[in-house]
Amino acid sequence: MENMLSHWKKAGVFAFLILFSLQTWFVYQHYKGSGLSRVPNPQRGEGSILSRAQDANLSALVRSLPAAQSAVPVANLPVTDVLKLYPALEKGMRTPFDLWRYYGKGSSTFSSPILPMRFEQWLEFHEKQKPQLMKDVRAYMGGRFDFSGKVLTHQWMSGGRKPVMAGPIARLPEEIPTFEDLAAMSPETIRAKDIFPYKPLAHPLQTTAHMLFPDSWTAAHPEHKRIDVDMDFPDAYLPEFPPPLFLTTHKELGDISGGQEITFRNYFEIFDGLLTGEQMEGLKELLRPSPTTWFNQTTHRLTLAPSDGVACLDCHTNGHTNGAIELGPDSRPNMARLRVDTPTLRGNYNLLQLSSKRSIRSLDHFSEVEEYFDGDPGMQQAIGPRAVKREVSNRMADFNAIIDYPPAPKLSPLMKLIPSLASEQELRGEKLFHGKAPNAPSATTVPPLSMTTSTTSVSSGFTSGDQKAQSKPSLCAASRIPLPTSMMAERPHSMIQSNFSISSSNSTSIEQKKMIWLPFSSVYNF
Amino acid sequence: MDRQKIDALTHSIFRLLVGAMYFHFGVLKFFPDLSPAEMIAEYTVGQLTGFRPDAKSILVVLAAMECFIGIGLMTGLLPRFIFCLLIFHIVGTLTPLVLLPEFCFKYFPIAPTLEGQYILKNLPLFASAWILIFPLAFPFKPKTSNE
Repeated sequence: MENMLSHWKKAGVFAFLILFSLQTWFVYQHYKGSGLSRVPNPQRGEGSILSRAQDANLSALVRSLPAAQSAVPVANLPVTDVLKLYPALEKGMRTPFDLWRYYGKGSSTFSSPILPMRFEQWLEFHEKQKPQLMKDVRAYMGGRFDFSGKVLTHQWMSGGRKPVMAGPIARLPEEIPTFEDLAAMSPETIRAKDIFPYKPLAHPLQTTAHMLFPDSWTAAHPEHKRIDVDMDFPDAYLPEFPPPLFLTTHKELGDISGGQEITFRNYFEIFDGLLTGEQMEGLKELLRPSPTTWFNQTTHRLTLAPSDGVACLDCHTNGHTNGAIELGPDSRPNMARLRVDTPTLRGNYNLLQLSSKRSIRSLDHFSEVEEYFDGDPGMQQAIGPRAVKREVSNRMADFNAIIDYPPAPKLSPLMKLIPSLASEQELRGEKLFHGKAPNAPSATTVPPLSMTTSTTSVSSGFTSGDQKAQSKPSLCAASRIPLPTSMMAERPHSMIQSNFSISSSNSTSIEQKKMIWLPFSSVYNF
Repeated sequence: MDRQKIDALTHSIFRLLVGAMYFHFGVLKFFPDLSPAEMIAEYTVGQLTGFRPDAKSILVVLAAMECFIGIGLMTGLLPRFIFCLLIFHIVGTLTPLVLLPEFCFKYFPIAPTLEGQYILKNLPLFASAWILIFPLAFPFKPKTSNE
């Protein structure tokens, strides 16, 4: 009898636990999508069925994931079945490198200027974490790209001091020996095997993210050396430092900078008498540092010592770029933000659109809106002043509007190669470029990764200007078009951003996209 | 009600409450974003495994472990297995205090953060579970006169 009672008691306990678990499940359904939850609520259309998804790009991206290779048609799978929820992390904690496999919302749109620990602990934490993180980051980058260190012979960046690298070249899976083999595969197969080599790169530490300067910059500016993470790209593959500066108003002078970095301290001496008063004021503003989310005078910072902040031309060094990266400020949660390179300012006067199509329409716009605080005006209120009035930003734009491309003597005023100056290879490249490669002779020229190739071609055609110093320029952008592998790998960031940006413009044709992504071409205008 | 019955009832309530608490906190970990321990647990697992495997799947193992302990405490089933789980569990749950002291203490070791207190509450829970499960796992055998 007692034994019987004991069994009944145990059965009662199990029944209670089952009921309790069910209750938890019901509560969870209500909790999802609430203000506290990072899990979207499907009933509100968040993370809903792919067939109902508005964005074809997202669907395509999701279909490319290995989890999607199941018997269930992908169109019927909820996003939540093929993507993982972003991990719950505090500021400073490591993030997965394959963030494209994740989804979810943040607990809040708004950030806080308060660290999750005391500043002394913050320093200790990063001191412990950084060595292993950088080791892992370098191993990951080495697995993604072949940083062979090879240079393109006789190709120099516009200052003539740094060679243009033949790479980095994206690594292919072992079963795909060459890019020609990859080119021969259908997009569906590439998706199904999950072997697309240009998956997005995340910021190496996406919980803090923000501006990450290259080694060449931090060597000259140790005040921008971060305690949490270093640049993940080898310096050899980044633009030369300092780069030359060319002005549309003084083409006869060539490089105005004289080989030095233009700073707040020397700009007046260099430009006095060359610029208008408005341009001078604009340049001064571009050189004046101001606090940012993580470079500032408070303890909410990633530098050992309090920082004056960052100036526009700290990343856009000498009106070009030093290869610094950060995250596009146009999305939340932070882990969903896309990594972007610093675009050059060269030739912006001639560009239709700059950078992030979801946030920034032009560089003038960029200087007006709040990007130094990652798109969060609340952080600006808390940390420091940066509220540029329109009259000031217009003057910044005045200077921006005269930053020129490097000289390209082989180009006619109509931006076509002058046949008598160009090599046969360059002319073939130009023909390929202007013809949008309709008759590409073989897969070695243009692989059928249409967006990738298009984007890259456009990038190369307009940007490279890999000039062998000023005195011996040679337009080799066109000649590099038939080398898609190295070219594509040379601009991994920008290309990745452009190809994976989730757009609502489903109907945008490839031609239109080429135009849209034209500004990205300026990213590595060597 | 005599004292013996009161003691038995107290013991039963104690057993059920401690078991229910293990089970409750374990069940929460099956649902992403519901457990307050998710961040610390995932990150600790990440640190222990070099951030290679998916920490979320390991969190499911932790959740299952806590549920088993809870069921074991409430029902008295498989006491030795539950005891082993208990030891494994307490070692795991206290690991963040060593690996992530910055997130567990405002000032080590006197002033824990909320997360730190959440972890430290495992100590009295563990002690309670020990009291309940140890006698079942290793029953006391009085020495016979021959011994």
